[in-house]
Amino acid sequence: MKASARSPQHWARIQESGTLIGMRIMVWIRRRLGRLPFRIMLGFVIVYYYCSHSLPRRASRDYLARVWPVHAGHAPRWPAWLGLRHFWAFGQSLMDKVDAWSGVTPDISLSAEDRACLDSAIRSGRGGVMLVSHIGNLEICSALSDSRDDFHVTQLMHTHNARKFNQLLDRSTLRRGPEIIEVSDITPATAIRLAERINAGGFVVIAADRIPLSEDGRTRRLDFLGATAPFPEGPFRLASLLRCPIYTLSCLRDEQGHRVEFRVFDDTTTLRRCDREAWCSDAMQRYVEWLTDQCRRYPLQWFNFFDFWHCHDRTVY
Amino acid sequence: MTHALELELKQMIIDTLELEDVTPEDIDPDAPLFVEGLGLDSIDALELGLALQKHYGIKLDAESDDTRQHFASLNHLAALVEARRVK
Repeated sequence: MKASARSPQHWARIQESGTLIGMRIMVWIRRRLGRLPFRIMLGFVIVYYYCSHSLPRRASRDYLARVWPVHAGHAPRWPAWLGLRHFWAFGQSLMDKVDAWSGVTPDISLSAEDRACLDSAIRSGRGGVMLVSHIGNLEICSALSDSRDDFHVTQLMHTHNARKFNQLLDRSTLRRGPEIIEVSDITPATAIRLAERINAGGFVVIAADRIPLSEDGRTRRLDFLGATAPFPEGPFRLASLLRCPIYTLSCLRDEQGHRVEFRVFDDTTTLRRCDREAWCSDAMQRYVEWLTDQCRRYPLQWFNFFDFWHCHDRTVY
Repeated sequence: MTHALELELKQMIIDTLELEDVTPEDIDPDAPLFVEGLGLDSIDALELGLALQKHYGIKLDAESDDTRQHFASLNHLAALVEARRVK
């Protein structure tokens, strides 16, 4: 299945549509007036956004109807309220990003297992690929990498993605973020750059839940929360070519603060070329299982506010 | 281009891409490597790029380098390696 960047439902067209000036005002309120006035303003913004943007609202409703039975064992009882909470979580995450990059040290916790895994990954000096998704808040992980001199992170991003937000961060934050490589297409030049980072013991962050912008980007439909959704093959092909350890990484918010999860996913160092195709299929399947588990545990922190399942071109789902 | 480098590159392509039925003699230095000719695809190009980096320390610049041109044929590839190799 191919999805066009020109199709109105493609994520790149819908994401981060908040206006820059509005966000600047919010950042200003957060900084100058503090947390409470900010939360009150954010409440208004979220309600306004929820009421005025039907596309993300419908995408959210569709997603929540799928995930809630898995999470709570029943369908959403108050869909509109749940939708608002979903939007609220998104607004909150944007401001957590601003906080994290403004020098406010985020409350990060890692379980003993995650910490041991991260430590041994860094100590090994072999670097690796960290597969991520648009669940939770990765900028918190950037703050984590800032806090350790031996943890070098390079983030691969679609050129189109979140440019506005980065502009905002550039102007209003104090910290350097992770190194960002913007790509519209993976070329040999990009692959070489990524391999250099990994050879030097660095980690490359790749989101594997957004389909490519270009028409010829390969995608595969996999069963996800009760229906098939298109997932990109690119991140997995790249991971197999880079021949390195592969991890999954997420940062989820709970009552205690931000919970970073870092686990070993696989290792492609000795993967043979002829086994690559089979590895990609298997790895994609396991990635979707990992993603499903993340959604089940933290359903409101899923920030793909577009028609993820691309139901518009399906008659039945 | 030296004959030794030509042979080395041919062998690198064959080894990297595990082209089992291809011998160095089969690769025409002037023939296109991709689509026609050897029939390589874009994933092979990434792999070849990584092999060039590993063997010769070649770096490509995403902005200014026209990868398509460097990878056009074995001769083009050899020219790239001669000009940019650091090991």
